[in-house]
Amino acid sequence: MEKRVKNRVAKSVLLHVVIYTGAFLTLAPFLWMVLTSFKGINEILTYPPTWWPKEFRFENYVNAFQAASFGRFYLNTFIIAIACTLGQLVTCSMAAFAFARLRFRGRDALFLLFLGTMMIPGQVTMIPTFIILYWFGWIDSYQALIVPGLASAFGTFLLRQFFLTIPRELEDAAYIDGCSRFGVLWRIILPLSKPALATLAIFIFMYFFNDFLWPLIVVNSEEMRTVQLGLAIFRDRYVTQWDLLMAGSVTSTLPILIVFFFAQKYFIQGITLSGLKE
Amino acid sequence: MKEKSKKLRATNRSSRDGFSAVLFLSPTMIIFSMFIIMPVLFSFYLSFHNWNMFSSQRDFVGLANYIHMLQSPDFWRVLKNTLVYTLGTVPLSMAVALAVALVLNKKIIGKKFLRTAYFTPVIVSSVAAAVIWRWVFDPNFGLLNHVFRLVGLPTINWLNEPTAAMIALIIMGVWKSLGFNMVLYLAGLQGIPEQYYEAAEMDGAKSHAKFWHITLPLLGPTTFFIMIMSVINSFQVFDIVYVLTQGGPLGATKVLVYYLYENAFKLFNMGYASATAYILFAIVFALTLLQVRYMRSKVHYTV
Amino acid sequence: MKKLSYITLGAFLLFCRCGEKESAGDTVTIKFWHSFVASTMPALEELLDRFEAEHPQIKIKAQYIPTGDALIQKLITAVQSKTAPDISWIHADYLGNLVGADAIYDLDHFIKGENGIPAAELADIYPSLIQLASWRKTLYSMPMEATNLGLIYNKDHFRAAGLDAESPPQNWQELHDTALKLTFDKDGDGRFEQIGLFVPIYPSSGPLNAWMVWQWMPFLWQAGGYMINEEQTEVLFNSPAAIQATTLWKNLYDALDMRSFTTDYDISFAANRISMAFDGPWNLPRFAELLKDIDWAVAPLPAGPVKSATVTGGEYLAIFKQSQHPNEAWAFIKWIIQPEIQAFWSMKSAYLPIRKKTLEIPEYQAYLQDHPHLRSYVEQMEYSQAPRPFDFYMMESTLLLAEALERATLGRIDPATALNEAAQKASKLLQIGQ
Repeated sequence: MEKRVKNRVAKSVLLHVVIYTGAFLTLAPFLWMVLTSFKGINEILTYPPTWWPKEFRFENYVNAFQAASFGRFYLNTFIIAIACTLGQLVTCSMAAFAFARLRFRGRDALFLLFLGTMMIPGQVTMIPTFIILYWFGWIDSYQALIVPGLASAFGTFLLRQFFLTIPRELEDAAYIDGCSRFGVLWRIILPLSKPALATLAIFIFMYFFNDFLWPLIVVNSEEMRTVQLGLAIFRDRYVTQWDLLMAGSVTSTLPILIVFFFAQKYFIQGITLSGLKE
Repeated sequence: MKEKSKKLRATNRSSRDGFSAVLFLSPTMIIFSMFIIMPVLFSFYLSFHNWNMFSSQRDFVGLANYIHMLQSPDFWRVLKNTLVYTLGTVPLSMAVALAVALVLNKKIIGKKFLRTAYFTPVIVSSVAAAVIWRWVFDPNFGLLNHVFRLVGLPTINWLNEPTAAMIALIIMGVWKSLGFNMVLYLAGLQGIPEQYYEAAEMDGAKSHAKFWHITLPLLGPTTFFIMIMSVINSFQVFDIVYVLTQGGPLGATKVLVYYLYENAFKLFNMGYASATAYILFAIVFALTLLQVRYMRSKVHYTV
Repeated sequence: MKKLSYITLGAFLLFCRCGEKESAGDTVTIKFWHSFVASTMPALEELLDRFEAEHPQIKIKAQYIPTGDALIQKLITAVQSKTAPDISWIHADYLGNLVGADAIYDLDHFIKGENGIPAAELADIYPSLIQLASWRKTLYSMPMEATNLGLIYNKDHFRAAGLDAESPPQNWQELHDTALKLTFDKDGDGRFEQIGLFVPIYPSSGPLNAWMVWQWMPFLWQAGGYMINEEQTEVLFNSPAAIQATTLWKNLYDALDMRSFTTDYDISFAANRISMAFDGPWNLPRFAELLKDIDWAVAPLPAGPVKSATVTGGEYLAIFKQSQHPNEAWAFIKWIIQPEIQAFWSMKSAYLPIRKKTLEIPEYQAYLQDHPHLRSYVEQMEYSQAPRPFDFYMMESTLLLAEALERATLGRIDPATALNEAAQKASKLLQIGQ
């Protein structure tokens, strides 16, 4: 009996060592960026590289932030990322419900078409998409940055896969009680899908927060720039302003990191069937 | 009697499904047809033309772009590079992600921190990631060679040698995608009702038996999703190549989408680039169908 | 949840109005796209302020487009959707495409117009720049400033190695020998900690990194070679001069073990790890801070077996036909190429003037006396040369050449074979084009 306990403790310790070592290795490059963002340019250049900054220089952050109107860029980026996240949660869960639960002709073919759209790289559809937006007169506006991002095959696919794992018995009961399809989606499927919805929300938010190419193409004016476009001024053809770029990059990573840190409680909520009324 | 009415309602339900499906799909379909389907069809049309993107003139060339590509040794080389990258990243990233997710689903101290730590690389934008990794891989100033020297390993010219550069790219690819897959697995694990495990425990199942008979099969749809997305993403890898190696050295890391990009935006041959996109599409689509088949035979769930 | 999305929707609809701006009264606003580096931005602002002060009826709205391929992608989409700027930086690589698409003005339209400029003024611009700004001998763009390639070197390193810090290498042999003398393995681990010369091969920047070819061309010319013959009938990548130039690079690359060295030459130079490197004046504003603890100088490129030569470049401004105000756009270009403005711009930005007359301005002469780094670059303009443009498949041919240079230095293949193969393929393209 005692041996068993000892064994279990030893196993647990080993597990902790492995998982923390892995976490450190994964995080090390990022930690290095964070620490480097406080170094002066001359310290960045020393050899061998230093790990801990000799002195913490917050000027890098101040200088990076003042290099352009980053306040405005952050506002733009938040508006775009939030609008797209909310929009996609709605459109994707509806479409995913149709693919996962409704029986209609051509469903599987349509679904394959959905998957297929993800397989064409964006580089070749960029110009036609731009021209369509131009027809709408949307160049250099929030519409151009948001509307094409209001639906996605990725999100539909992700939610469909998740909906498939939810036992059907729950819905059958609801239908018998006279619930509509929308009611089933809203009252049964979605509450059970919080982990998937939270995951999707993080992915969408992150995608639009970090997107570079599309804003680059459709944005012309300074007022419409996003954070990633703003950061591009620290890198140019021949030179990179390492100190400012590092500081700017760390700052731009923080919002998503914070969102992730607090959103995780939603996707670790397990499903307990007993907690539901049958 | 009760049974009968249940059945009746069920058939009623499926006949009205078609109408509901239209309603449920229409928001997505409207946006898709404008911003995805139309551009995709347009680029299909372009793949049969020569177009330099500046002028309005597009010359119809039939299958010439496709034939030219299939005859070009460059194309086969970049296809091979893409396959190497995919084989190097997808299985590794998926296996490690599943392992990490399983561990993080157990009793572990500091879960919140650990999840965030593993997820951080996903959040870092590719521009920032490039900044970090170019420094990590730098033969002189770099972190990796510095560590190698400290532990007495021979240093490697990471980005200056063809094979080393591909390995560097794979390392960065796994680093960047690991957290993404981990979160999906975590969400999938939460979807497995606790009762199943309790029932198995009552039957006296060992932990590895629970893994093979409950966890893995029930993660089927999640695994399927991750696999499809990983294959699509790694076949379309572009960002990290663009920022880390630009396809060098000696073309060793030039992958399909980078090749496509180069043809489009450096050589201004959109027709040829579009044809490349459709060959890429055909390959990935075929692979996806294969995976659908395979998963259908393996998993009892509809996938 | 619902409420929140309404609020968001409302908020963004409100914001959408912000993009639209009215043009005020009689002033005309000129949209100008450029990719000047961050350290040049303050100088650009001063330049534009001065223009606007002198031309109260014209406003210049300068828009920074990130570098890399961003500018070209934006130009393509803008031309397609008729939202092109009035003026933009453009690049010789796609000048032909813009001309073919009838997107930009032939500048003769303005030069010979009522607000034109005399031929003598044009002749005062360095011919190499005019050549770069032209497509098949017609001037479609105007240089805004000049750059060229020089040799930057660390004087302390020279002194430490017992070399004369005031006499940088004059020819290829000296370049080779000096580079070796400045290369040290200080700790005996078999790797060099200090490298005499940064050989500009960028393995992980892709062969299309035109930067490598750009730096190689002056060596080709110094050995008496050309990229293509004047009749546009033969690609000359495999001429004896090309092989000589490539062999010099390859030998240095191997001798200095560049393979195990970083490609961030500017940082390595600042970190005292590199003694000599090729570089251009655009870095001067930044180096003022970065290299403030280093005693360094700029020298002309060493002469080759045949002659002295450096490569010149610059930024070229084109006027788009979609512009509503082409005449005002031209007014800006005409203003900026005046000798006094060129002097002003050069002193602010450390770019080189495009006009020879600028050098006669006393204020500018005095400035150069105080700024020896800039002076070295300016003095080198005398030897500056521009590549002969290819009438067909310019980019494809450059790519082939770049691949050959990489294979000759990185791969285990000799320069002659690599260059021969590239020349054959490029010649084939040339025939297809004709």
